[in-house]
Amino acid sequence: MNNSFDPKNPRVKRAYQKKIFYTPPVLALCVVISSILIIGGGILLYFKNSFGWTLLGFSALPLMLFFWIQNHLNEIPIKKSKAFTDLVSEDLLTLLNKNLIPSDLIRIIPRTQSGTFLMVRFGLPIPFFENIKDFLPKSVEPIYDTAKTIREKTNSEEITGAILATAIIENLPNYEQLLNQLKLTISDLYQGIIWFNYLHGLVKNNNRPIHSGGIARDFAFGFTPTLQRFAVNLSNRYTGLNNKIQQAENAEIIQKIIHTFTTTGRQNIALVGSYGSGRSTLVNSFAETLMNADSKIPNSLKFRQIYSLDAPSLISAARNRGEIEYLMIKILNEIYSAKNIILCLDNAHLFFEEGPGSVDIANLLTPVLEAGKIRMILIMDDQKFLEISAKNSALANSLNKIVVTPSSREETIKILMDQVPFFERNKNVVYTYRSLLEAYRLSEQYIHDIEMPGKAKLLLESSASYAVNGLVTENSVQTAVEKSYGVKVKVTENKEEREKLLNLESLIHERMVDQKEAVSAVANALRRAGAGVKNKNRPIGTFLFLGPTGVGKTELAKTLSEVYFNGEENVVRLDMNEFVSSSDVSRLIKDGASDALSLTAQIMKQPFSVVLLDEIEKAHPSVLTTLLQVLDEGILRDEKNREVSFRDSIIIATSNAGANEIREKITAGEKIEDFKEEFLEKLISSNEFKPEFLNRFDEICLFKPLSKEDLTQILDLIIASTNRTLEPQKIAVNVSPEAKQILLEKGYDPKMGARPMRRLVQKTVENIVAAAILSGAATPGSTLTITPSEVEIN
Amino acid sequence: MTLAEVFFWWYAQGWKVFIEKIRIGFSSITDFFSMDSLIRTLFKPFRQISAETAGTDASLDLKFQMFIDRLISRIIGFSSRLILLVIGLFIIVVSGILGLLLIILWPLIPFFPILGIILTIFGVNL
Repeated sequence: MNNSFDPKNPRVKRAYQKKIFYTPPVLALCVVISSILIIGGGILLYFKNSFGWTLLGFSALPLMLFFWIQNHLNEIPIKKSKAFTDLVSEDLLTLLNKNLIPSDLIRIIPRTQSGTFLMVRFGLPIPFFENIKDFLPKSVEPIYDTAKTIREKTNSEEITGAILATAIIENLPNYEQLLNQLKLTISDLYQGIIWFNYLHGLVKNNNRPIHSGGIARDFAFGFTPTLQRFAVNLSNRYTGLNNKIQQAENAEIIQKIIHTFTTTGRQNIALVGSYGSGRSTLVNSFAETLMNADSKIPNSLKFRQIYSLDAPSLISAARNRGEIEYLMIKILNEIYSAKNIILCLDNAHLFFEEGPGSVDIANLLTPVLEAGKIRMILIMDDQKFLEISAKNSALANSLNKIVVTPSSREETIKILMDQVPFFERNKNVVYTYRSLLEAYRLSEQYIHDIEMPGKAKLLLESSASYAVNGLVTENSVQTAVEKSYGVKVKVTENKEEREKLLNLESLIHERMVDQKEAVSAVANALRRAGAGVKNKNRPIGTFLFLGPTGVGKTELAKTLSEVYFNGEENVVRLDMNEFVSSSDVSRLIKDGASDALSLTAQIMKQPFSVVLLDEIEKAHPSVLTTLLQVLDEGILRDEKNREVSFRDSIIIATSNAGANEIREKITAGEKIEDFKEEFLEKLISSNEFKPEFLNRFDEICLFKPLSKEDLTQILDLIIASTNRTLEPQKIAVNVSPEAKQILLEKGYDPKMGARPMRRLVQKTVENIVAAAILSGAATPGSTLTITPSEVEIN
Repeated sequence: MTLAEVFFWWYAQGWKVFIEKIRIGFSSITDFFSMDSLIRTLFKPFRQISAETAGTDASLDLKFQMFIDRLISRIIGFSSRLILLVIGLFIIVVSGILGLLLIILWPLIPFFPILGIILTIFGVNL
């Protein structure tokens, strides 16, 4: 009986009554009838007709009914028992019946508010439930039993549609595998239930009576006209509100602030933490707590109002430093006299350093903070606090420091759940649960200047612009990241992209010849990234290309960039022979404002790119040491200590080290794979490279010298390239086989690779074409054929 | 059946709910008039006008002027608070009496139709 639905339960009857009576027409009808009877009765009595008393008397009945509906049927509380029917939410009471089978429950769930919530937020559409219908238990009892367990596990007040949906899924064999297909776990669904309960609680809370101090609340506190001019009253927005948005994680810090402000000693707090860690939210939560008459705080803090001083408006209003100090003194005097103000200095460092938009009034504020008579909250980041401490130890010592740490993953998800209703109201969208998780994951990976939860909130907010049919999904968050940061985060889904990745080798070979080992190494790395199986904490791939000059090392990097990284210009190229002294390290990490071409600045602007470190062996050892972290973790800190991520880049280092040896061995007929290991050992023992440096690369590829056959293909590629250049003029060039043979004989130099051939084509073919164009021999639509004699002459 | 239920509820849960509603209404009125803070701060200066106090080295004239300022501010504060207190107390007392009356009247409401019929039968007129 405990695990079955009892239709005779009084709650069921009440639910049906609610369905019938608790509707606006019925309530209005009660009021109208009662009003008619009262008015009618009054009129009759006025005309001395005693029947009016009967009408007046009977007017009580519809009013009684009205009161009963409003107060008895508005809520159907659960009962303290273990019976399923006593624990079911009121919307389910009228939907369930005794003879239901599990598949009937599937039809019921979308008809409940919480069921719809779970289905929408977790991407569990009706077809999903339809498909699992055949695998459900034969009766509903096990589902009801599971629902009761889930209710206890999630601390839910009642068994809702969301709980029932989760119970249905949990009763499936291999449900974990099924959820995995949707990238979910059962605990995610539990989180969803808790999320719904929280939002439901917020709505319920809204109907509670409001106590905010009344009309005489501020009678005993002074006027603050100057402060009003330069500060924002954070408490104003909470007057009369009752929907607490404060996060549980803040409670501990708020208690610390309350303790500091209610004990003797300096009445100030320095909230120290990184931008985005929730310092301002904390102050707002504190303001909300103070303005709530029902919060359990000492009387000395009740209804105290927090004003956030606006530094720029204060600075812009004053003509000189003296005036700023005068205004500040005036504001502090007002606060002291008013007795109900807590002054908040957001970005407090603006008051302790000279610069644009900031002014150093430490000499004025330090004594005030030391005296501790005025309650103040200073918000600043860790670095600024350290700087101020170093400069003014008296000031730092006078502050009661409270560290605000970035939130953990669980805390961030909770905070996002808190904030989502506000985003949804402002942006008119609905966020799925996966979008929250994805916002956490991707913001952690790509947003480096802000801390959690700020960066996840920021990303989630911006993802609203990429909502599809009003739904912000995991995909919307990924698109937001791709559009904002120029990186690829989605697992390749479209056919064209997949084809490109699968045929990357042949696409690369359209531009370069042979070097199959290197080509397939980079292609494999990109395929791993495209399929989402690469290590997220490393670059897409790190490669060292070794080999003689002109064999295609740099060309491969360029080709790769053109084929996959949206154009050859997306190569971030550093000629390492320009980084030969230890002082050059600073050029790698220079701030973008002072050097737009520093490595960190370029990657910040364009994280999805090929980084080409040409002639790496020429770089100073300190430069190589700096690059170790990039190769290993895909992270480099710039001179401002900002983390720059290389995790969406492919890093290719090239070197000519040991080129002669490679050439000799290949010429002698040896195969690369036979001597590669020994060759690398030699590079280490001859101190060309340190083992820890070589060890950081995913793959070291040896490029072999070009053979004559290779050069034939390269010549064709060069001629094709010339034709591409001439294409806008509609002129084509054709080199006869005999002329090609001459070019090959003259352009082949095993030591120099393809470069002499390129130069030769430039000197011969291109010169001939240029002369023909200028003399008018080559007109649009014509094809020039280069003959052996022309090649010989040139 | 439903009507019987309404009557049953009226004398059990309904009465309790009504008393709770009256209590909430009463506490909202006291909150609106901030009665506790009005009493606690009855003699405090109004909006802290002239909160400054003269230093020990101030002249006698200045000290006297400050004292007068504070006194006036306190008188203004006292008067305005007293007026509010009186108005608030009056409204609280009236609403309290009304609430109490309604609570007493509550069990009689279901009998209003019978009372109406009796008054009609006896031909009572205004």
